[in-house]
Amino acid sequence: MAKLSGLQRDVLALYRQCLRAARAKPAETRKNFEDFTRKEFREHIHLNKKDFSTIEYMLRRGNRQLEIYADPGITNISR
Amino acid sequence: MFRNAILRSARAASRAAPRFQTPIARPAARSSLFQSKQIIPAASFQSVRCYSAPAGLSKDEVEGRILDLLKNFDKVSDASKLSASSHFSNDLGLDSLDTVEVVMAIEEEFSIEIPDKEADAIHSIDKAVSYILSQPDAH
Repeated sequence: MAKLSGLQRDVLALYRQCLRAARAKPAETRKNFEDFTRKEFREHIHLNKKDFSTIEYMLRRGNRQLEIYADPGITNISR
Repeated sequence: MFRNAILRSARAASRAAPRFQTPIARPAARSSLFQSKQIIPAASFQSVRCYSAPAGLSKDEVEGRILDLLKNFDKVSDASKLSASSHFSNDLGLDSLDTVEVVMAIEEEFSIEIPDKEADAIHSIDKAVSYILSQPDAH
Protein backbone atom coordinates (compact mmCIF):
# COMPACT_ATOMS: atom_id res chain seq x y z
CA MET A 1 0.00 0.00 0.00
CA ALA A 2 1.30 3.41 -0.93
CA LYS A 3 2.07 5.89 1.79
CA LEU A 4 -1.18 7.40 2.98
CA SER A 5 -1.86 11.10 3.29
CA GLY A 6 -2.95 12.61 6.59
CA LEU A 7 -6.51 12.91 5.37
CA GLN A 8 -6.59 9.28 4.28
CA ARG A 9 -5.33 8.23 7.67
CA ASP A 10 -8.07 10.31 9.30
CA VAL A 11 -10.67 8.45 7.26
CA LEU A 12 -9.23 5.08 8.27
CA ALA A 13 -9.14 6.20 11.90
CA LEU A 14 -12.82 7.12 11.71
CA TYR A 15 -13.58 3.74 10.13
CA ARG A 16 -11.76 2.03 12.97
CA GLN A 17 -13.62 4.09 15.57
CA CYS A 18 -16.94 3.17 13.96
CA LEU A 19 -16.12 -0.55 14.04
CA ARG A 20 -15.00 -0.22 17.66
CA ALA A 21 -18.28 1.48 18.52
CA ALA A 22 -20.13 -1.38 16.80
CA ARG A 23 -18.48 -3.82 19.19
CA ALA A 24 -20.20 -2.14 22.12
CA LYS A 25 -23.60 -2.90 20.60
CA PRO A 26 -25.63 -6.02 21.47
CA ALA A 27 -24.23 -9.15 19.82
CA GLU A 28 -27.34 -9.82 17.74
CA THR A 29 -27.45 -6.36 16.12
CA ARG A 30 -23.73 -5.77 15.91
CA LYS A 31 -23.59 -7.09 12.36
CA ASN A 32 -26.17 -4.49 11.29
CA PHE A 33 -23.97 -1.71 12.63
CA GLU A 34 -20.92 -3.14 10.91
CA ASP A 35 -22.74 -3.49 7.61
CA PHE A 36 -24.04 0.04 7.95
CA THR A 37 -20.51 1.34 8.55
CA ARG A 38 -19.18 -0.58 5.58
CA LYS A 39 -21.96 0.67 3.32
CA GLU A 40 -21.55 4.31 4.37
CA PHE A 41 -17.82 4.26 3.64
CA ARG A 42 -18.04 2.20 0.44
CA GLU A 43 -20.65 4.55 -0.97
CA HIS A 44 -18.04 7.27 -1.28
CA ILE A 45 -15.00 5.18 -2.02
CA HIS A 46 -14.68 6.61 -5.51
CA LEU A 47 -14.27 10.18 -4.34
CA ASN A 48 -11.16 11.71 -5.83
CA LYS A 49 -8.47 11.79 -3.18
CA LYS A 50 -7.68 15.41 -4.11
CA ASP A 51 -11.24 16.46 -3.38
CA PHE A 52 -10.28 17.72 0.06
CA SER A 53 -13.33 19.82 0.85
CA THR A 54 -15.77 16.99 0.12
CA ILE A 55 -13.71 14.48 2.08
CA GLU A 56 -13.42 16.87 5.00
CA TYR A 57 -17.15 17.46 4.90
CA MET A 58 -17.82 13.69 4.85
CA LEU A 59 -15.41 13.24 7.77
CA ARG A 60 -17.23 15.82 9.85
CA ARG A 61 -20.54 14.24 8.96
CA GLY A 62 -19.21 10.81 9.82
CA ASN A 63 -17.91 11.94 13.18
CA ARG A 64 -21.25 13.49 14.02
CA GLN A 65 -23.10 10.34 12.97
CA LEU A 66 -20.73 8.20 15.02
CA GLU A 67 -21.45 10.36 18.06
CA ILE A 68 -25.17 9.85 17.60
CA TYR A 69 -25.08 6.11 16.91
CA ALA A 70 -22.54 5.38 19.66
CA ASP A 71 -25.20 6.29 22.24
CA PRO A 72 -25.91 3.14 24.27
CA GLY A 73 -29.64 3.86 23.91
CA ILE A 74 -29.41 2.94 20.24
CA THR A 75 -29.43 -0.84 20.03
CA ASN A 76 -30.30 -1.53 16.41
CA ILE A 77 -30.04 0.05 13.00
CA SER A 78 -31.87 -0.73 9.77
CA ARG A 79 -29.78 -1.59 6.79
CA MET B 1 10.47 -48.03 48.26
CA PHE B 2 7.75 -45.55 49.20
CA ARG B 3 5.56 -48.17 50.79
CA ASN B 4 8.47 -49.26 52.94
CA ALA B 5 9.10 -45.70 53.97
CA ILE B 6 5.44 -45.22 54.91
CA LEU B 7 5.35 -48.42 56.88
CA ARG B 8 8.56 -47.54 58.63
CA SER B 9 7.35 -44.07 59.58
CA ALA B 10 3.99 -45.48 60.67
CA ARG B 11 5.69 -48.06 62.81
CA ALA B 12 7.97 -45.41 64.26
CA ALA B 13 4.98 -43.20 64.99
CA SER B 14 3.03 -45.99 66.67
CA ARG B 15 6.09 -46.82 68.71
CA ALA B 16 6.67 -43.16 69.59
CA ALA B 17 3.05 -42.37 70.31
CA PRO B 18 2.59 -44.42 73.50
CA ARG B 19 5.55 -42.68 74.98
CA PHE B 20 3.84 -39.28 74.78
CA GLN B 21 0.16 -40.00 75.04
CA THR B 22 -0.58 -43.50 76.22
CA PRO B 23 -4.38 -43.34 76.42
CA ILE B 24 -4.98 -42.51 72.70
CA ALA B 25 -2.03 -44.28 71.08
CA ARG B 26 -4.12 -45.86 68.30
CA PRO B 27 -5.72 -42.77 66.79
CA ALA B 28 -2.42 -40.90 66.84
CA ALA B 29 -0.69 -43.67 64.89
CA ARG B 30 -3.48 -43.83 62.34
CA SER B 31 -3.47 -40.10 61.71
CA SER B 32 0.29 -39.99 61.14
CA LEU B 33 -0.07 -42.83 58.61
CA PHE B 34 -2.81 -40.88 56.86
CA GLN B 35 -0.69 -37.73 56.70
CA SER B 36 2.34 -39.38 55.19
CA LYS B 37 0.12 -40.84 52.46
CA GLN B 38 -1.22 -37.40 51.63
CA ILE B 39 2.16 -35.75 51.38
CA ILE B 40 3.56 -38.10 48.76
CA PRO B 41 1.12 -37.36 45.90
CA ALA B 42 1.39 -33.62 46.58
CA ALA B 43 5.14 -33.77 46.03
CA SER B 44 4.68 -35.11 42.49
CA PHE B 45 2.49 -32.16 41.41
CA GLN B 46 5.05 -29.41 41.67
CA SER B 47 4.90 -28.23 38.04
CA VAL B 48 1.46 -26.63 38.23
CA ARG B 49 1.14 -23.56 35.98
CA CYS B 50 -0.34 -20.48 37.60
CA TYR B 51 -3.27 -18.81 35.82
CA SER B 52 -1.43 -15.52 35.71
CA ALA B 53 1.52 -16.92 33.79
CA PRO B 54 1.81 -15.74 30.16
CA ALA B 55 0.44 -18.24 27.67
CA GLY B 56 3.50 -18.02 25.41
CA LEU B 57 2.06 -18.13 21.90
CA SER B 58 4.14 -19.97 19.36
CA LYS B 59 4.78 -18.45 15.94
CA ASP B 60 3.00 -21.32 14.15
CA GLU B 61 -0.08 -20.96 16.29
CA VAL B 62 -0.34 -17.20 15.69
CA GLU B 63 0.18 -17.71 11.96
CA GLY B 64 -2.44 -20.46 11.81
CA ARG B 65 -5.03 -18.39 13.64
CA ILE B 66 -4.47 -15.35 11.39
CA LEU B 67 -4.66 -17.49 8.24
CA ASP B 68 -7.90 -19.10 9.46
CA LEU B 69 -9.33 -15.69 10.15
CA LEU B 70 -8.46 -14.49 6.64
CA LYS B 71 -9.88 -17.66 5.08
CA ASN B 72 -13.23 -16.71 6.56
CA PHE B 73 -12.98 -13.08 5.48
CA ASP B 74 -15.35 -12.58 2.56
CA LYS B 75 -13.29 -9.94 0.77
CA VAL B 76 -10.22 -12.10 0.12
CA SER B 77 -10.26 -12.42 -3.67
CA ASP B 78 -7.91 -15.35 -4.17
CA ALA B 79 -7.71 -17.74 -1.24
CA SER B 80 -4.96 -19.77 -2.96
CA LYS B 81 -2.59 -16.86 -2.49
CA LEU B 82 -2.97 -17.03 1.28
CA SER B 83 0.37 -17.79 2.85
CA ALA B 84 2.42 -16.67 5.80
CA SER B 85 4.04 -13.93 3.72
CA SER B 86 0.98 -12.59 1.85
CA HIS B 87 0.60 -8.86 1.52
CA PHE B 88 -2.94 -7.67 2.19
CA SER B 89 -3.32 -5.39 -0.82
CA ASN B 90 -0.79 -6.82 -3.30
CA ASP B 91 -1.58 -10.52 -2.87
CA LEU B 92 -5.05 -10.67 -1.40
CA GLY B 93 -6.65 -7.76 -3.23
CA LEU B 94 -7.76 -5.95 -0.09
CA ASP B 95 -8.09 -2.17 -0.04
CA SER B 96 -7.25 0.10 2.88
CA LEU B 97 -10.73 -0.21 4.44
CA ASP B 98 -10.51 -4.02 4.29
CA THR B 99 -7.06 -3.88 5.86
CA VAL B 100 -8.53 -1.93 8.77
CA GLU B 101 -11.19 -4.62 9.13
CA VAL B 102 -8.62 -7.41 9.08
CA VAL B 103 -6.51 -5.70 11.73
CA MET B 104 -9.61 -5.19 13.86
CA ALA B 105 -10.47 -8.87 13.48
CA ILE B 106 -6.93 -9.80 14.53
CA GLU B 107 -7.32 -7.52 17.57
CA GLU B 108 -10.46 -9.36 18.54
CA GLU B 109 -8.97 -12.80 17.91
CA PHE B 110 -6.07 -12.16 20.28
CA SER B 111 -8.07 -9.92 22.63
CA ILE B 112 -5.74 -6.95 22.49
CA GLU B 113 -6.13 -3.40 21.28
CA ILE B 114 -3.69 -2.19 18.63
CA PRO B 115 -3.14 1.59 18.67
CA ASP B 116 -3.88 3.40 15.39
CA LYS B 117 -0.25 4.09 14.64
CA GLU B 118 0.83 0.47 14.89
CA ALA B 119 -2.31 -0.70 13.13
CA ASP B 120 -1.53 1.52 10.13
CA ALA B 121 1.83 -0.19 9.77
CA ILE B 122 0.41 -3.72 9.50
CA HIS B 123 0.10 -4.49 5.79
CA SER B 124 1.00 -8.14 5.59
CA ILE B 125 0.52 -11.38 7.45
CA ASP B 126 4.12 -11.71 8.61
CA LYS B 127 4.00 -8.17 10.03
CA ALA B 128 0.83 -9.02 11.92
CA VAL B 129 2.41 -12.21 13.25
CA SER B 130 5.53 -10.42 14.48
CA TYR B 131 3.39 -7.71 16.10
CA ILE B 132 1.29 -10.28 17.97
CA LEU B 133 4.40 -12.13 19.10
CA SER B 134 5.82 -8.89 20.48
CA GLN B 135 2.69 -8.31 22.62
CA PRO B 136 2.97 -10.08 25.96
CA ASP B 137 -0.77 -9.87 26.70
CA ALA B 138 -1.99 -11.36 23.42
CA HIS B 139 -3.61 -14.75 23.81
